[in-house]
Amino acid sequence: MAGTKKLTIQDLAKIREKTKSLMTIRESEGRARITVHMGTCGIAAGARDIMDALLGEISKANIQDVIVTTSGCAGLCNAEPMMTIEIKNQPPVKYGYLTPAKLQKIFVQHILGGQMVADLVLAVGSETMY
Amino acid sequence: MKQYRAHLLVCAGTGCVSCGSFKIKEALEQEILKRNLQDEVQVVATGCNGFCERGPIVMVQPDGIFYQLLKVEDVPHLVEEHLLKGRPVKKLMYVPPAEKQPVPKMKDIEFFKHQRLIVLRNRGRIDPEKIEEYIAFDGYEAMAKALTGMTPQEIIDEILFSGLRGRGGAGFPTGKKWAACAKEKATPKYLICNGDEGDPGAFMDRSVLEADPHAVLEGMVIGAKAIGASKGFIYIRHEYPLALKRMEIAIAQAQENGLLGQDILGSGFDFDLEIVQGAGAFVSGEESALIASVEGRIAMPRQRPPYPAQKGLWGKPTVINNVETWATVPNIIRRGADWFQGLGTETSKGTKIFALVGKIANTGLVEVPMGITLREIVYGIGGGIPDKRDFKAVQIGGPSGGCLPAKLLDLPVDYESLTAAGAMMGSGGMIVMDDKTCMVDVAKYFLNFLQDESCGKCVSCREGTQRMYEIVKAITEGKGKESDLAMLEELAKITKDASMCGLGQTAGNPVLTTLRYFRHEYEAHILDKRCPAGVCKNLIRYVVLAEKCTGCQSCKKACPNDCIKGTLKDIHLIDQSKCIKCGACKEACKFEAIEEQREEAIQII
Amino acid sequence: MITFRMNGLEVKAEEGWTLLDTAKFYGLEIPTLCFHEGLTPHGGCRLCVVEIGEGLRSKLVSSCTYPAEEGLVVRTDSARVWASRRMMIELMLAMAPGSKVLQDMASQFNVTQVRFALRNTECVLCGLCTRICAEQMDASAIGFQQRGLKRKISTPFDARSETCRLCGACMYICPACQLRCQGPNAETAICNGCLTMEPTCLEHYDDLQCWMYDAGRCGTCVQEKKS
Repeated sequence: MAGTKKLTIQDLAKIREKTKSLMTIRESEGRARITVHMGTCGIAAGARDIMDALLGEISKANIQDVIVTTSGCAGLCNAEPMMTIEIKNQPPVKYGYLTPAKLQKIFVQHILGGQMVADLVLAVGSETMY
Repeated sequence: MKQYRAHLLVCAGTGCVSCGSFKIKEALEQEILKRNLQDEVQVVATGCNGFCERGPIVMVQPDGIFYQLLKVEDVPHLVEEHLLKGRPVKKLMYVPPAEKQPVPKMKDIEFFKHQRLIVLRNRGRIDPEKIEEYIAFDGYEAMAKALTGMTPQEIIDEILFSGLRGRGGAGFPTGKKWAACAKEKATPKYLICNGDEGDPGAFMDRSVLEADPHAVLEGMVIGAKAIGASKGFIYIRHEYPLALKRMEIAIAQAQENGLLGQDILGSGFDFDLEIVQGAGAFVSGEESALIASVEGRIAMPRQRPPYPAQKGLWGKPTVINNVETWATVPNIIRRGADWFQGLGTETSKGTKIFALVGKIANTGLVEVPMGITLREIVYGIGGGIPDKRDFKAVQIGGPSGGCLPAKLLDLPVDYESLTAAGAMMGSGGMIVMDDKTCMVDVAKYFLNFLQDESCGKCVSCREGTQRMYEIVKAITEGKGKESDLAMLEELAKITKDASMCGLGQTAGNPVLTTLRYFRHEYEAHILDKRCPAGVCKNLIRYVVLAEKCTGCQSCKKACPNDCIKGTLKDIHLIDQSKCIKCGACKEACKFEAIEEQREEAIQII
Repeated sequence: MITFRMNGLEVKAEEGWTLLDTAKFYGLEIPTLCFHEGLTPHGGCRLCVVEIGEGLRSKLVSSCTYPAEEGLVVRTDSARVWASRRMMIELMLAMAPGSKVLQDMASQFNVTQVRFALRNTECVLCGLCTRICAEQMDASAIGFQQRGLKRKISTPFDARSETCRLCGACMYICPACQLRCQGPNAETAICNGCLTMEPTCLEHYDDLQCWMYDAGRCGTCVQEKKS
């Protein structure tokens, strides 16, 4: 962190790397976009816990290039809590009936590993948001 | 810094601040705290976003959603809907004029779509009071490269080959200026940043200083290495308190981190900066007057040669450049002269910032590549003329510039083509005028400004501007004579010819361009005694309509100057020579028998 | 030696010479007003302008301040120069129509009309008075105030000067007010020479009671001259 000491060129590069990663979201760029659906149905079904779990996983894995956002009800209220994952250049994937445990599995396999968790997928394709 | 899932970028340039954006920021922070989102959502105050017409502005990232014209009352709804429920709020979004659907994302809005941000690349996305954020977006990388990997000659060559020309108005090749100063042997050498920005309506430099002060600092350190300067001064006009504050913070942070001062980045190079405040004169933006001002003397220009590059501040070699010029330098060093050469036209490379103001739908600050046409700026980015009015003229270059008419809308914006048309690139002020603007009145406005701001040394400038103003004022009051137009042209040409500094040398431009392109308006004022745009008050006539007048005497009683004659039941008559155009008679008349004639030729009753 | 061309002639100037210095040395006449040999050049009246450079790059500069430059091409009497000179005379005459110096110059350059409303300020703001006061008389009692429309010459804060020694150098050198300073009223008079003493103490005593050498200068018994 830039403080009260004289910086060297290496220090500059370090600050840049560290700060930049925390600010990529200001660029609307990222490797993937994860939307946690938080319409009334979602919140009632426990979407807040899913969001907390997701943010926790991201922090643990120390990745900075995914965008987390929320949206309203996706339309399939009985499947809430729901999450849509859009990896850049791939069709969006919707997951439903989520629990924090299932979220962890999806996070590791899909978000980190790039592979869909087939038995938890609700739908692939449809409207692109990214 | 923590990882947040959303950043709310609140525009905190002077324009939005004066519309209450700091209160919006406070309200956002409070609401977020209330909703317990403070670990997920960060609120950041950035510099001017550019779309000043629509302030206060908040950008939500990573969604890229653009919210405008916000009020404090909107904040709770915004936070609940967008941040909690993920539903962007349509009614707070931008709706293009004459359309119904909002455009949610900033990158899709016409105003932003056609701009090319280089100098303003950090606007609206960093907090200018945090040096880390500047560093995050490649800040100080160019300085590191220049200080450790380039010789002074290499730096000068890079700037020379890039084709960068001074952005303060004159457009002198920056590399040439630096090369001339580098050659000089006398020491110490100085750098000056000209942040005096005196053109009415111009706020490009203010925005750069408020939104990205470190860009200027970085440019100056690079320049210092190139010419061998050890000290620099940033001259900011006193009327820019926010810019002064942000620059003070930026300098302090840079000094704290060893990016200014001794042995910068361990390279062995020393350079430090100090802020000097202006004291209210337009002429102190002229380079030799500014130098006098820094020295503590009265801001009056002096004869050159010798030029500041040879004998400047305290008689030592000095490079003085405009804010925008300095802020462009790091980009050129970081990305290369070839990259810069790829933007713009043959003779005018790169981009230019314009302050688009006046009768335009999208007032704000725009950065566009040189060579873009006026039409694209006015209609594409600017959104055209509001209230369904017609475009009449665009004034470019401030009081040194000129007014260009509709037939020149396809002119490409570059130094040479604007000068050939009689105007001037200037520092970037662009005032759009509609058909309700009187061009003679515009000339009068600028002449009044110039006669006030002339330092007064040269007879040609001091007396020239005063006499031109006298004549144009008389024309707007209906007292013009036919010989006035020839006299104006003669005065304008000689004022330009015989004056010593840039102020006087361009003082004739407002008159010359309006005469060149709008001569018919002058003639209407002089020969017909009417103002086609309906602006010049003295050429408005209040006339009693004989067919409607009942002789009730209400107007006569209302007139404060006793100019209405008429007995009871007789048609009344207004004495034009005594009428002061107050309009009281028209208000008093219950029979709509008094007409206010503006554009039509007078009717004699 | 600096070699350049003036009116087609090759001229040589010493280091530090201006174009005007060079012209004078070679006997070429250039009119001046605010220039004086004993004072630093000001470059304000614009009468001494000459055209330098060639073609599209040519421009007018004041010869009293422009330094001699190697290879320069100078024309002291081009059409552009004359047009400017005539206008300067006309503009200055409109400020000080009573000035003999300006009237003589007008007849020399064939300026036969003043097409502007006369201002009668009896001052063309040439600054000779301020410069002689500062540089030769070492007093700096008067100076320029303000800029543009409001520019004028006066004492600091328009107050009665304590440094003015009434030497009259300002009046001597002024090209506009050939007559003794009229000093319209006590508050604005520059040298206070127009003020008169009316010591009331002499009505009661045999001697002036004032114990300052400059009797009456303190202002208590000084009144405006009734013309």
